[in-house]
Amino acid sequence: MDVPLDVSALEPPEPMRQILEALFDLADGDRLCVRHRREPFPLYDILQRMGYAWETSGSEGRFQILIWRTAPPVTDGSD
Amino acid sequence: MLSTAGLSLEQAPPIHIPFRFFLTAPLFLLAAALLLALKGDSLLASRWSPAALAVTHLIVVGFLGQVMSGALLQMLPVVAGSPVPSVRLVGGTVNPLLAVGAGMLAWGLLGGGGMALSVGAVCASLGFLVLVLSAGLALLRARGAPQTVRAMGLALGSLLVAVVLGLVLTEALSGRIWILQFPAWVDVHLAWGLLGWVGLLVMGVAFQVVPMFHVTPPYPKWLSFWLPPLAAAALLLGTLRLVSDTYEAGVAATGVLALAFSLFALVTLGLQARRERKRVDATLLHWWSAMVCVLLAALCWLLAGPPVVTGILLLLGAGVGVVSGMLFKIVPFLAWFHLQHRQLTSGKLQVRVPNMLTFLPDRPARLQLACHLLALVGTLAAWAVPVLIVPAGIALALSAALLGGLILRALVRFRRVAMAIEASPPSTHPEAM
Repeated sequence: MDVPLDVSALEPPEPMRQILEALFDLADGDRLCVRHRREPFPLYDILQRMGYAWETSGSEGRFQILIWRTAPPVTDGSD
Repeated sequence: MLSTAGLSLEQAPPIHIPFRFFLTAPLFLLAAALLLALKGDSLLASRWSPAALAVTHLIVVGFLGQVMSGALLQMLPVVAGSPVPSVRLVGGTVNPLLAVGAGMLAWGLLGGGGMALSVGAVCASLGFLVLVLSAGLALLRARGAPQTVRAMGLALGSLLVAVVLGLVLTEALSGRIWILQFPAWVDVHLAWGLLGWVGLLVMGVAFQVVPMFHVTPPYPKWLSFWLPPLAAAALLLGTLRLVSDTYEAGVAATGVLALAFSLFALVTLGLQARRERKRVDATLLHWWSAMVCVLLAALCWLLAGPPVVTGILLLLGAGVGVVSGMLFKIVPFLAWFHLQHRQLTSGKLQVRVPNMLTFLPDRPARLQLACHLLALVGTLAAWAVPVLIVPAGIALALSAALLGGLILRALVRFRRVAMAIEASPPSTHPEAM
Protein backbone atom coordinates (compact mmCIF):
# COMPACT_ATOMS: atom_id res chain seq x y z
CA MET A 1 0.00 0.00 0.00
CA ASP A 2 1.22 3.56 -0.74
CA VAL A 3 0.91 5.86 2.28
CA PRO A 4 0.53 9.52 1.19
CA LEU A 5 2.30 12.39 2.97
CA ASP A 6 2.17 16.01 1.80
CA VAL A 7 4.98 18.20 3.19
CA SER A 8 4.91 20.82 0.45
CA ALA A 9 3.58 23.64 2.67
CA LEU A 10 5.89 23.07 5.64
CA GLU A 11 8.99 25.02 6.65
CA PRO A 12 12.31 23.25 7.41
CA PRO A 13 12.95 21.04 9.26
CA GLU A 14 9.30 19.86 9.41
CA PRO A 15 9.30 18.04 6.03
CA MET A 16 12.26 15.87 7.00
CA ARG A 17 11.00 15.36 10.55
CA GLN A 18 7.56 14.24 9.36
CA ILE A 19 8.98 11.98 6.65
CA LEU A 20 11.29 10.22 9.14
CA GLU A 21 8.45 9.87 11.63
CA ALA A 22 6.19 8.38 8.94
CA LEU A 23 8.92 5.91 7.97
CA PHE A 24 9.07 4.57 11.53
CA ASP A 25 5.31 3.91 11.35
CA LEU A 26 5.45 2.37 7.88
CA ALA A 27 4.29 -1.26 7.82
CA ASP A 28 6.43 -3.93 6.13
CA GLY A 29 5.85 -3.91 2.39
CA ASP A 30 4.24 -0.46 2.37
CA ARG A 31 5.69 2.56 0.57
CA LEU A 32 5.65 6.19 1.66
CA CYS A 33 4.51 8.54 -1.10
CA VAL A 34 5.77 12.04 -0.27
CA ARG A 35 4.71 15.24 -2.00
CA HIS A 36 7.27 18.03 -1.67
CA ARG A 37 7.86 21.41 -3.34
CA ARG A 38 11.61 20.79 -3.67
CA GLU A 39 13.87 17.78 -4.09
CA PRO A 40 15.05 16.81 -0.58
CA PHE A 41 18.69 15.99 -1.34
CA PRO A 42 19.80 15.87 2.35
CA LEU A 43 17.13 13.24 3.07
CA TYR A 44 18.57 10.82 0.51
CA ASP A 45 21.77 10.39 2.48
CA ILE A 46 19.82 9.44 5.61
CA LEU A 47 17.53 7.10 3.64
CA GLN A 48 20.45 5.29 2.07
CA ARG A 49 22.12 4.76 5.45
CA MET A 50 18.86 3.60 7.03
CA GLY A 51 18.32 0.95 4.36
CA TYR A 52 15.60 2.63 2.32
CA ALA A 53 15.31 2.99 -1.45
CA TRP A 54 13.49 5.83 -3.20
CA GLU A 55 12.32 7.05 -6.55
CA THR A 56 11.81 10.72 -7.29
CA SER A 57 9.66 12.15 -10.05
CA GLY A 58 8.38 15.63 -10.93
CA SER A 59 10.07 18.96 -11.46
CA GLU A 60 10.67 22.31 -9.74
CA GLY A 61 7.89 23.13 -7.30
CA ARG A 62 6.20 19.70 -7.42
CA PHE A 63 8.10 16.53 -6.57
CA GLN A 64 6.90 13.07 -5.59
CA ILE A 65 9.25 10.83 -3.62
CA LEU A 66 8.35 7.16 -3.24
CA ILE A 67 10.21 5.51 -0.33
CA TRP A 68 10.34 1.86 0.74
CA ARG A 69 12.54 -0.33 2.94
CA THR A 70 15.07 -2.61 1.27
CA ALA A 71 17.60 -3.54 3.97
CA PRO A 72 18.38 -3.20 7.68
CA PRO A 73 19.92 0.20 8.58
CA VAL A 74 23.66 0.81 8.25
CA THR A 75 24.92 1.94 11.66
CA ASP A 76 28.44 3.24 11.22
CA GLY A 77 28.07 6.19 13.61
CA SER A 78 29.64 8.77 11.31
CA ASP A 79 28.04 11.92 9.91
CA MET B 1 11.86 9.46 -13.28
CA LEU B 2 14.97 10.85 -11.63
CA SER B 3 17.82 8.51 -10.96
CA THR B 4 18.97 7.89 -7.42
CA ALA B 5 22.00 5.88 -8.39
CA GLY B 6 25.52 7.13 -7.79
CA LEU B 7 24.48 9.54 -5.08
CA SER B 8 27.27 10.43 -2.70
CA LEU B 9 26.84 9.13 0.82
CA GLU B 10 28.31 12.37 2.10
CA GLN B 11 25.95 14.97 0.71
CA ALA B 12 26.49 17.58 3.40
CA PRO B 13 29.95 18.70 4.56
CA PRO B 14 30.86 18.07 8.22
CA ILE B 15 29.25 20.72 10.40
CA HIS B 16 32.56 22.19 11.57
CA ILE B 17 33.28 23.43 8.05
CA PRO B 18 30.42 25.94 7.63
CA PHE B 19 30.61 26.82 11.35
CA ARG B 20 34.27 27.75 11.00
CA PHE B 21 33.30 30.36 8.40
CA PHE B 22 30.26 31.54 10.35
CA LEU B 23 32.24 31.99 13.58
CA THR B 24 35.11 33.85 11.91
CA ALA B 25 32.86 36.31 10.06
CA PRO B 26 31.47 38.31 13.05
CA LEU B 27 35.04 39.05 14.19
CA PHE B 28 35.57 41.07 11.01
CA LEU B 29 32.24 42.84 11.43
CA LEU B 30 33.37 43.70 14.95
CA ALA B 31 36.69 45.05 13.61
CA ALA B 32 34.81 47.14 11.04
CA ALA B 33 32.51 48.45 13.78
CA LEU B 34 35.42 49.48 16.01
CA LEU B 35 37.06 51.24 13.08
CA LEU B 36 33.76 53.01 12.42
CA ALA B 37 33.59 54.21 16.04
CA LEU B 38 37.26 55.25 16.20
CA LYS B 39 37.87 56.67 12.72
CA GLY B 40 34.31 57.56 11.73
CA ASP B 41 34.98 61.24 11.11
CA SER B 42 37.53 60.62 8.36
CA LEU B 43 35.49 57.71 7.07
CA LEU B 44 32.45 59.82 6.31
CA ALA B 45 34.48 62.67 4.88
CA SER B 46 35.28 60.68 1.75
CA ARG B 47 34.67 57.21 0.38
CA TRP B 48 38.35 57.31 -0.59
CA SER B 49 39.57 57.73 2.99
CA PRO B 50 41.82 54.85 4.21
CA ALA B 51 39.28 54.08 6.97
CA ALA B 52 36.37 53.86 4.50
CA LEU B 53 38.34 51.50 2.24
CA ALA B 54 39.43 49.38 5.20
CA VAL B 55 35.88 49.12 6.61
CA THR B 56 34.53 48.17 3.17
CA HIS B 57 37.06 45.32 2.81
CA LEU B 58 36.59 44.11 6.38
CA ILE B 59 32.86 43.81 5.67
CA VAL B 60 32.96 42.52 2.07
CA VAL B 61 35.89 40.10 2.34
CA GLY B 62 35.96 39.41 6.09
CA PHE B 63 32.28 39.23 6.94
CA LEU B 64 30.22 38.73 3.77
CA GLY B 65 32.97 36.73 2.02
CA GLN B 66 33.33 34.32 4.94
CA VAL B 67 29.60 33.75 5.50
CA MET B 68 28.81 33.41 1.82
CA SER B 69 31.68 30.99 1.19
CA GLY B 70 30.63 28.81 4.13
CA ALA B 71 27.00 28.95 3.08
CA LEU B 72 27.88 28.07 -0.52
CA LEU B 73 29.84 24.96 0.54
CA GLN B 74 26.85 23.95 2.65
CA MET B 75 24.04 24.87 0.26
CA LEU B 76 25.31 23.33 -2.98
CA PRO B 77 24.64 19.76 -1.84
CA VAL B 78 21.33 20.76 -0.21
CA VAL B 79 19.73 22.75 -3.02
CA ALA B 80 21.52 21.36 -6.07
CA GLY B 81 22.39 17.83 -4.92
CA SER B 82 26.03 18.51 -5.76
CA PRO B 83 28.65 18.38 -2.99
CA VAL B 84 31.74 20.56 -3.35
CA PRO B 85 34.70 18.25 -4.15
CA SER B 86 37.31 17.86 -1.37
CA VAL B 87 35.16 20.09 0.83
CA ARG B 88 37.32 19.60 3.95
CA LEU B 89 40.42 20.78 2.09
CA VAL B 90 38.53 23.63 0.41
CA GLY B 91 37.00 24.79 3.71
CA GLY B 92 40.31 24.49 5.52
CA THR B 93 42.03 26.58 2.83
CA VAL B 94 39.46 29.26 1.97
CA ASN B 95 38.62 30.20 5.59
CA PRO B 96 42.16 31.13 6.75
CA LEU B 97 43.08 32.71 3.40
CA LEU B 98 40.06 35.03 3.54
CA ALA B 99 40.74 35.81 7.21
CA VAL B 100 44.38 36.77 6.57
CA GLY B 101 43.36 38.48 3.32
CA ALA B 102 40.68 40.67 4.94
CA GLY B 103 42.91 41.56 7.90
CA MET B 104 45.99 42.42 5.83
CA LEU B 105 43.98 44.30 3.18
CA ALA B 106 42.41 46.47 5.89
CA TRP B 107 45.79 46.98 7.56
CA GLY B 108 47.44 47.85 4.24
CA LEU B 109 44.66 50.29 3.28
CA LEU B 110 44.88 51.93 6.71
CA GLY B 111 48.50 52.81 6.02
CA GLY B 112 50.23 49.58 6.96
CA GLY B 113 52.27 49.73 3.77
CA GLY B 114 52.45 48.19 0.32
CA MET B 115 53.63 44.81 1.61
CA ALA B 116 50.58 44.37 3.86
CA LEU B 117 48.33 45.40 0.99
CA SER B 118 49.96 42.94 -1.42
CA VAL B 119 49.88 40.05 1.07
CA GLY B 120 46.21 40.82 1.81
CA ALA B 121 45.28 41.01 -1.86
CA VAL B 122 47.11 37.77 -2.72
CA CYS B 123 45.63 35.84 0.23
CA ALA B 124 42.07 37.05 -0.40
CA SER B 125 42.43 36.36 -4.14
CA LEU B 126 43.78 32.84 -3.55
CA GLY B 127 40.98 32.11 -1.10
CA PHE B 128 38.32 33.29 -3.52
CA LEU B 129 40.00 31.48 -6.41
CA VAL B 130 39.89 28.14 -4.56
CA LEU B 131 36.22 28.82 -3.81
CA VAL B 132 35.39 29.74 -7.41
CA LEU B 133 37.10 26.61 -8.79
CA SER B 134 35.64 24.14 -6.30
CA ALA B 135 32.14 25.61 -6.13
CA GLY B 136 32.21 26.10 -9.90
CA LEU B 137 32.96 22.40 -10.37
CA ALA B 138 30.05 21.51 -8.06
CA LEU B 139 27.76 23.83 -10.05
CA LEU B 140 28.70 22.03 -13.27
CA ARG B 141 27.53 18.76 -11.66
CA ALA B 142 24.34 20.30 -10.20
CA ARG B 143 21.18 18.21 -10.56
CA GLY B 144 18.47 20.64 -9.46
CA ALA B 145 17.37 24.25 -8.90
CA PRO B 146 18.58 25.48 -12.33
CA GLN B 147 17.76 29.18 -11.77
CA THR B 148 19.64 29.23 -8.46
CA VAL B 149 22.54 27.34 -9.99
CA ARG B 150 22.75 29.88 -12.82
CA ALA B 151 22.66 32.85 -10.43
CA MET B 152 25.35 31.22 -8.30
CA GLY B 153 27.48 30.65 -11.41
CA LEU B 154 27.12 34.31 -12.39
CA ALA B 155 27.97 35.34 -8.81
CA LEU B 156 31.14 33.24 -8.92
CA GLY B 157 32.04 34.73 -12.31
CA SER B 158 31.50 38.22 -10.85
CA LEU B 159 33.71 37.32 -7.91
CA LEU B 160 36.46 36.31 -10.31
CA VAL B 161 36.24 39.66 -12.14
CA ALA B 162 36.23 41.57 -8.82
CA VAL B 163 39.31 39.62 -7.69
CA VAL B 164 41.26 40.29 -10.90
CA LEU B 165 40.35 43.98 -10.78
CA GLY B 166 41.29 44.09 -7.08
CA LEU B 167 44.72 42.64 -7.82
CA VAL B 168 45.31 45.17 -10.61
CA LEU B 169 44.19 48.05 -8.34
CA THR B 170 46.50 46.84 -5.58
CA GLU B 171 49.41 46.92 -8.01
CA ALA B 172 48.44 50.48 -8.97
CA LEU B 173 48.15 51.52 -5.31
CA SER B 174 51.60 50.09 -4.65
CA GLY B 175 52.93 52.18 -7.53
CA ARG B 176 54.07 49.20 -9.62
CA ILE B 177 51.68 50.02 -12.48
CA TRP B 178 49.74 53.10 -13.53
CA ILE B 179 46.04 53.06 -14.48
CA LEU B 180 44.09 55.70 -16.36
CA GLN B 181 40.74 56.57 -14.66
CA PHE B 182 41.74 54.90 -11.38
CA PRO B 183 38.57 55.98 -9.45
CA ALA B 184 36.31 54.67 -12.21
CA TRP B 185 38.04 51.27 -12.09
CA VAL B 186 37.57 51.21 -8.31
CA ASP B 187 33.84 51.75 -8.93
CA VAL B 188 33.80 48.83 -11.37
CA HIS B 189 35.68 46.61 -8.86
CA LEU B 190 33.14 47.57 -6.19
CA ALA B 191 30.19 46.92 -8.52
CA TRP B 192 31.39 43.40 -9.45
CA GLY B 193 32.11 42.62 -5.80
CA LEU B 194 29.02 44.08 -4.17
CA LEU B 195 26.32 43.83 -6.82
CA GLY B 196 27.76 40.88 -8.78
CA TRP B 197 29.19 38.56 -6.14
CA VAL B 198 27.08 39.54 -3.12
CA GLY B 199 23.94 40.69 -4.97
CA LEU B 200 23.64 37.81 -7.44
CA LEU B 201 24.44 35.19 -4.80
CA VAL B 202 21.81 36.65 -2.45
CA MET B 203 19.37 36.61 -5.38
CA GLY B 204 20.12 32.98 -6.26
CA VAL B 205 19.94 31.84 -2.66
CA ALA B 206 16.71 33.82 -2.15
CA PHE B 207 15.05 31.87 -4.99
CA GLN B 208 15.41 28.84 -2.68
CA VAL B 209 15.32 30.07 0.91
CA VAL B 210 12.51 32.65 0.73
CA PRO B 211 9.89 30.12 -0.46
CA MET B 212 11.46 27.40 1.72
CA PHE B 213 11.77 29.10 5.11
CA HIS B 214 8.79 31.45 4.96
CA VAL B 215 6.55 29.17 2.90
CA THR B 216 5.81 31.72 0.20
CA PRO B 217 4.82 31.09 -3.43
CA PRO B 218 7.89 30.54 -5.64
CA TYR B 219 9.53 33.49 -7.43
CA PRO B 220 7.98 34.04 -10.88
CA LYS B 221 9.86 31.94 -13.45
CA TRP B 222 10.50 34.92 -15.76
CA LEU B 223 12.14 36.79 -12.89
CA SER B 224 14.42 34.01 -11.70
CA PHE B 225 15.31 33.23 -15.34
CA TRP B 226 16.02 36.75 -16.63
CA LEU B 227 17.06 38.89 -13.67
CA PRO B 228 20.49 37.39 -12.81
CA PRO B 229 21.79 37.42 -16.43
CA LEU B 230 20.33 40.91 -16.93
CA ALA B 231 22.21 42.23 -13.88
CA ALA B 232 25.41 40.47 -15.00
CA ALA B 233 25.03 41.95 -18.51
CA ALA B 234 24.60 45.43 -16.99
CA LEU B 235 27.78 44.94 -14.98
CA LEU B 236 29.59 43.95 -18.16
CA LEU B 237 28.22 46.99 -19.99
CA GLY B 238 29.34 49.23 -17.12
CA THR B 239 32.84 47.78 -17.41
CA LEU B 240 33.03 48.05 -21.20
CA ARG B 241 32.01 51.70 -21.08
CA LEU B 242 35.30 52.39 -19.32
CA VAL B 243 37.16 50.89 -22.25
CA SER B 244 35.01 52.69 -24.82
CA ASP B 245 34.74 55.79 -22.62
CA THR B 246 30.99 56.16 -23.25
CA TYR B 247 29.25 58.07 -20.47
CA GLU B 248 25.71 57.13 -21.58
CA ALA B 249 26.49 53.40 -21.48
CA GLY B 250 27.64 53.79 -17.87
CA VAL B 251 24.43 55.53 -16.83
CA ALA B 252 22.34 52.93 -18.68
CA ALA B 253 24.23 50.09 -16.96
CA THR B 254 23.71 51.60 -13.49
CA GLY B 255 20.04 52.23 -14.34
CA VAL B 256 19.50 48.61 -15.36
CA LEU B 257 21.22 47.42 -12.15
CA ALA B 258 19.08 49.74 -10.01
CA LEU B 259 15.96 48.51 -11.80
CA ALA B 260 16.90 44.82 -11.58
CA PHE B 261 17.69 44.86 -7.86
CA SER B 262 14.64 47.07 -7.09
CA LEU B 263 12.43 44.59 -8.92
CA PHE B 264 13.99 41.74 -6.96
CA ALA B 265 13.37 43.61 -3.68
CA LEU B 266 9.75 44.42 -4.57
CA VAL B 267 8.95 40.85 -5.66
CA THR B 268 10.62 39.46 -2.51
CA LEU B 269 8.56 41.78 -0.27
CA GLY B 270 5.43 40.84 -2.24
CA LEU B 271 6.07 37.10 -1.87
CA GLN B 272 6.78 37.47 1.84
CA ALA B 273 3.51 39.36 2.27
CA ARG B 274 1.75 36.30 0.80
CA ARG B 275 3.60 33.80 3.03
CA GLU B 276 1.66 30.94 4.61
CA ARG B 277 3.77 30.96 7.74
CA LYS B 278 2.46 34.15 9.38
CA ARG B 279 4.89 34.38 12.30
CA VAL B 280 7.26 37.36 12.05
CA ASP B 281 10.76 36.36 13.18
CA ALA B 282 14.16 38.07 13.20
CA THR B 283 15.07 36.57 9.80
CA LEU B 284 11.97 37.98 8.15
CA LEU B 285 12.53 41.40 9.75
CA HIS B 286 16.14 41.36 8.48
CA TRP B 287 14.86 40.54 4.98
CA TRP B 288 12.30 43.36 5.09
CA SER B 289 14.83 45.94 6.24
CA ALA B 290 17.41 44.74 3.69
CA MET B 291 14.94 44.88 0.79
CA VAL B 292 13.81 48.39 1.84
CA CYS B 293 17.51 49.39 1.86
CA VAL B 294 17.88 48.11 -1.72
CA LEU B 295 14.93 50.26 -2.79
CA LEU B 296 16.28 53.30 -0.93
CA ALA B 297 19.72 52.81 -2.49
CA ALA B 298 18.16 52.78 -5.98
CA LEU B 299 16.18 55.91 -5.10
CA CYS B 300 19.31 57.61 -3.77
CA TRP B 301 21.11 56.87 -7.05
CA LEU B 302 18.11 58.09 -9.10
CA LEU B 303 18.01 61.37 -7.18
CA ALA B 304 21.79 61.79 -7.55
CA GLY B 305 22.20 61.46 -3.77
CA PRO B 306 25.57 61.09 -2.07
CA PRO B 307 27.38 57.87 -3.14
CA VAL B 308 28.41 57.30 0.50
CA VAL B 309 24.72 56.97 1.47
CA THR B 310 24.05 54.53 -1.42
CA GLY B 311 27.10 52.55 -0.30
CA ILE B 312 25.98 52.39 3.35
CA LEU B 313 22.48 51.27 2.30
CA LEU B 314 23.83 48.49 0.06
CA LEU B 315 26.76 47.33 2.17
CA LEU B 316 25.43 47.59 5.70
CA GLY B 317 21.68 47.72 5.13
CA ALA B 318 21.24 45.11 2.42
CA GLY B 319 24.43 42.99 2.51
CA VAL B 320 25.11 42.66 6.24
CA GLY B 321 21.37 42.66 7.04
CA VAL B 322 20.25 39.86 4.76
CA VAL B 323 23.29 37.70 5.49
CA SER B 324 22.79 38.06 9.28
CA GLY B 325 19.11 37.18 8.88
CA MET B 326 19.90 34.07 6.85
CA LEU B 327 22.42 32.91 9.46
CA PHE B 328 19.55 32.83 11.97
CA LYS B 329 17.93 30.10 9.83
CA ILE B 330 20.96 28.28 8.43
CA VAL B 331 22.82 27.82 11.76
CA PRO B 332 19.99 26.16 13.76
CA PHE B 333 18.93 24.10 10.74
CA LEU B 334 22.47 22.75 10.36
CA ALA B 335 22.68 21.90 14.05
CA TRP B 336 19.31 20.10 13.92
CA PHE B 337 20.09 18.29 10.67
CA HIS B 338 23.52 17.01 11.71
CA LEU B 339 22.20 15.74 15.06
CA GLN B 340 19.28 14.03 13.35
CA HIS B 341 21.65 12.49 10.84
CA ARG B 342 24.09 11.36 13.54
CA GLN B 343 21.30 9.85 15.60
CA LEU B 344 19.55 7.97 12.81
CA THR B 345 22.69 6.59 11.25
CA SER B 346 24.07 5.40 14.59
CA GLY B 347 20.76 3.91 15.73
CA LYS B 348 20.99 5.77 19.07
CA LEU B 349 17.46 7.09 19.33
CA GLN B 350 17.10 7.61 23.10
CA VAL B 351 18.13 11.28 23.14
CA ARG B 352 15.61 13.81 21.85
CA VAL B 353 17.00 16.21 19.26
CA PRO B 354 15.83 19.71 20.33
CA ASN B 355 13.87 21.88 17.92
CA MET B 356 15.58 24.60 15.91
CA LEU B 357 14.61 27.46 18.25
CA THR B 358 16.51 25.79 21.09
CA PHE B 359 19.74 26.26 19.15
CA LEU B 360 19.07 29.87 18.21
CA PRO B 361 16.16 31.54 20.04
CA ASP B 362 14.28 34.42 18.42
CA ARG B 363 14.48 36.97 21.27
CA PRO B 364 18.27 37.51 21.28
CA ALA B 365 18.15 37.37 17.49
CA ARG B 366 15.69 40.29 17.59
CA LEU B 367 18.06 42.14 19.90
CA GLN B 368 20.81 41.64 17.32
CA LEU B 369 18.44 43.00 14.66
CA ALA B 370 17.70 46.07 16.83
CA CYS B 371 21.44 46.78 17.22
CA HIS B 372 21.92 46.31 13.48
CA LEU B 373 19.11 48.76 12.68
CA LEU B 374 20.45 51.30 15.19
CA ALA B 375 23.87 51.01 13.59
CA LEU B 376 22.36 51.45 10.12
CA VAL B 377 20.26 54.49 11.02
CA GLY B 378 23.13 55.97 13.03
CA THR B 379 25.62 55.55 10.18
CA LEU B 380 23.20 57.12 7.70
CA ALA B 381 22.39 59.99 10.08
CA ALA B 382 26.10 60.52 10.73
CA TRP B 383 26.42 61.69 7.15
CA ALA B 384 24.54 64.83 8.32
CA VAL B 385 25.54 64.76 12.03
CA PRO B 386 29.06 63.25 12.09
CA VAL B 387 29.20 62.74 15.86
CA LEU B 388 26.55 59.99 15.53
CA ILE B 389 29.13 57.70 13.96
CA VAL B 390 30.47 56.79 17.41
CA PRO B 391 27.19 55.36 18.81
CA ALA B 392 26.52 53.83 15.38
CA GLY B 393 29.88 52.04 15.54
CA ILE B 394 29.15 50.83 19.07
CA ALA B 395 25.73 49.54 17.98
CA LEU B 396 27.33 47.68 15.06
CA ALA B 397 29.93 46.20 17.43
CA LEU B 398 27.13 45.00 19.69
CA SER B 399 25.25 43.48 16.75
CA ALA B 400 28.43 41.68 15.63
CA ALA B 401 29.12 40.41 19.15
CA LEU B 402 25.53 39.19 19.51
CA LEU B 403 25.66 37.47 16.12
CA GLY B 404 28.93 35.72 16.98
CA GLY B 405 27.64 34.85 20.46
CA LEU B 406 24.44 33.32 19.07
CA ILE B 407 26.35 31.18 16.57
CA LEU B 408 28.74 30.03 19.32
CA ARG B 409 25.80 29.23 21.59
CA ALA B 410 24.24 27.09 18.83
CA LEU B 411 27.54 25.22 18.41
CA VAL B 412 27.84 24.60 22.18
CA ARG B 413 24.25 23.25 22.24
CA PHE B 414 25.03 21.07 19.24
CA ARG B 415 28.10 19.61 20.94
CA ARG B 416 26.18 18.95 24.16
CA VAL B 417 23.42 16.99 22.38
CA ALA B 418 25.95 15.23 20.12
CA MET B 419 27.84 14.01 23.22
CA ALA B 420 24.58 12.83 24.81
CA ILE B 421 23.76 10.86 21.65
CA GLU B 422 27.24 9.39 21.60
CA ALA B 423 26.95 8.25 25.22
CA SER B 424 23.47 6.71 24.81
CA PRO B 425 22.90 3.01 24.01
CA PRO B 426 21.66 1.91 20.55
CA SER B 427 17.89 1.60 20.22
CA THR B 428 15.34 0.98 17.52
CA HIS B 429 12.52 2.78 19.27
CA PRO B 430 11.76 6.14 17.66
CA GLU B 431 11.49 8.19 20.90
CA ALA B 432 13.82 10.77 19.51
CA MET B 433 11.45 11.76 16.77
